[in-house]
Parts: sequence; C-alpha cells; structure tokens
Amino acid sequence: MDSIHDMGGMQGFGPVPVDAEEVFAHDWQKRAFALTETLGWAVPYGSDEHRQEIERLAPAEYLNRDYFEKWALAAAALARGAGLVSADEVVTGRKSFDVDLAAHPRVSAADLLAASRAGAEMTFPDHPAEPCFAMGDTVRVMVHGPDGHTRAPRYLRGRLGRIERHLGAFQFADALAAGRGPDPQHCYTVIFDAAELWGQGSDTLCADLWEPYLEHP
Amino acid sequence: MPHDTHDHDHDHDPLEQGAALRVRALEELMVAKGLVDPAAMDAIVEYYETETGPRNGAAVVARAWSDPDFKEWLLRDGSAAIASMGFTGFQGEYMRVVENTDTVHNIVVCTLCSCYPWPVLGLPPTWYKSPAYRARTVREPRVVLSEFGVELPKEMRVQVWDSTAEIRYLVLPQRPSDTEGETPEALAARVTRNGMIGTARV
Repeated sequence: MDSIHDMGGMQGFGPVPVDAEEVFAHDWQKRAFALTETLGWAVPYGSDEHRQEIERLAPAEYLNRDYFEKWALAAAALARGAGLVSADEVVTGRKSFDVDLAAHPRVSAADLLAASRAGAEMTFPDHPAEPCFAMGDTVRVMVHGPDGHTRAPRYLRGRLGRIERHLGAFQFADALAAGRGPDPQHCYTVIFDAAELWGQGSDTLCADLWEPYLEHP
Repeated sequence: MPHDTHDHDHDHDPLEQGAALRVRALEELMVAKGLVDPAAMDAIVEYYETETGPRNGAAVVARAWSDPDFKEWLLRDGSAAIASMGFTGFQGEYMRVVENTDTVHNIVVCTLCSCYPWPVLGLPPTWYKSPAYRARTVREPRVVLSEFGVELPKEMRVQVWDSTAEIRYLVLPQRPSDTEGETPEALAARVTRNGMIGTARV
C-alpha cells in the first residue's frame, strides 16, 4: 500500500532529531509497547498484521500521532477485527461484553519472556521451489504496488539492482498480513547503485526483497 | 480576568496527554476483558530495558575485535555467532553483521517502519524512528551522517542497508588504532549504539 509509512526518499521532514536518544520518553509509551506485545497472543496477530494496521492510518494521523500510541491503536484495531472488543469499548475503555477466553487465552509473563528470548522461526529450509535468481543476476523491482501490506518500498519500484545474497525461503510478509500466510518465498539481498535510484551519487544501497517483488529485466 | 492560565499548561502537550489517556483506557479495557495479564506487561518492559540493549552489541563487537576466528564467524553467520553469546530473541533471529573498512562505511535504516536488532541493541531510539531519518538516509546518507557529526572522505563508499524483510543488521565498526592490548571489557566500553547503527564512527 503506497501510503505515508513508505517514507524512503521523501523530502521535507527537516533535520534528523539526533539528540532524541531515548527509547521511551513517557511511561505510558512503555505500557503501549507492552500492550502490543501481550495482546498479540490472545487475539492473535503477528508483526506484519500489526504493521498493516498502522499503515492503514490516514497519512495526517500517521504523522501526528505518537509512535507508541499508533502501536496501541493498531493492537486495539486487531482485537476489534477479531470481534474481541467493540468500537464503543475502545472509545470508552469500559467493558460491555465477555469474550471466550478459552479460544483467546492471555499470555503469562513466563511464556511471553520465554518466547521473546527464543525468537520466532520464519524460514523454510525445505521449501521445494528452486530460487528464480542467482548471485550477480540483474533484477528489476516490480512496478506494481499491491493494495495491501507489502515490503517492497516505493523508491525501489522499477529500479534495477543485482542479487547480492540469496537468503533462503522466508514467510512472506504480504501473505501473512492478508491472512494467507506463511506462503514461503525466496528472499534476496539486492544491491542498488545510488545513481540508479536518485540519478546521482556513487554510494550503494541494499534491501531485502522477496522473490514475488522481482523480475528478470 | 488575567490571561495567565496558559502558563500552567506550558509543559503539557495536549496531543501527548490525549495519547496517554487513550493508552491507559485501552490497557484497562484489555485487562478487564481478560485478554492481557498486567504482570506480563510489566515483565516484558523490564526484559527489554534490562536484558537487551547496546551493551550486548558492544560485547559482540569487542569480541570480534579481539578474536579473529570469532570475527570471521560473525561476518559469515551473524545469527549463529551472536546466538552463541546468548543474544537471541524477537527481531534478532536472522542477523547480518556488516563490517566498516577503510573503503566502506555502513549505515542501517528501516524506511517502512522501525526494524532494529532488539537482542543486541534493545529497542530503537526516537531519532531512528523519526520520519527524517527514515526518509533521508536512503537518499542522502552523507547529509544525514553530517548531522550526526560524521564526515566521510569522498573515496569512501557509503553502503546503506534498508531493513525491508526479516534480516536485522549490526554494523561492526573499525577497531580504534589506540586500543592495542586492551581487554574485551575495555574495548566494549569504546563501542557506542550509534556506532553499531552506523551513525557514528568509533
């Protein structure tokens, strides 16, 4: 979805706030982060569904709302999408109906910590499909921008790069966000010349791109 | 009536106050619904604040500076080498470590959201999540670097890494020349968070 979150290459945002070194500026931001991390187990949802909800915010709202508030709002939207809370409950903060907690169990502190320390498995080493591209191949990033969540940034669309590394088959973000996951796809690190992206410069840029984003030029 | 009441509000950003209230209401709702356990919320914040953070990454860098075999492993298979030091978890499952040299300077960004290697660096600082950093690093990395006080020679290539999929990146800075004989602990103290993102030289 070509919306405001896809910021690479945009101009007009001014200088980087280099002195804003903090992770959290307010305690409520910690609660928003923690709410997102915990609620994901009961609803449930994963990172790509959560990112997609944030991306669905109108551009003005995306820019004006606090980073962590957006996390909490997206988490609540996913809970609402699953029928676990109503719009009215989200607005008032007051519970008006019970949910089936056997079907949507909350995560315990111990289980959440264990999972957070272990990480997630996102690769598919036995994926049967052969990779379509090899090291050094020239590739073009698709021009078409999907309507839903995608990880092919706008500033790379239609640009030529070279396969720098084959990463293996990974769960596919676009499919996961659309509820069609994991739909494993080969993923590659692709290197681009600055001159190809911006018409000038001799620096280089790498991005990690799933195979459906790429084509033979 | 004197118009002095605004003075009391100078330190309060109404947008921020609204966000704080909305987040509190959402937490109370989700707890009342039984969908989240407040103890799990407390535990996860404490975990990221105490068990993850740049000192983990600094230990990795210092070891690479001290042990050529480890450095070779780290650059070849960052995930395994970092996991061997106990730094595993969400947003750090697939790690690639990229080395600064005399001819290449690496800098990491996430243009689409705020992807960042949590186990080795903790959660990202505010500037990393800012629209200015996300938008400009891919287009004018040298200008962004100069705002951080980093000026690179023209002949040095800047290599930008946009974290668009599941790989998370850690920059291996060059070991400072005046550190011969220093212990890994002393070396780790030289390593900065920005140095491992690529917005500082070490």
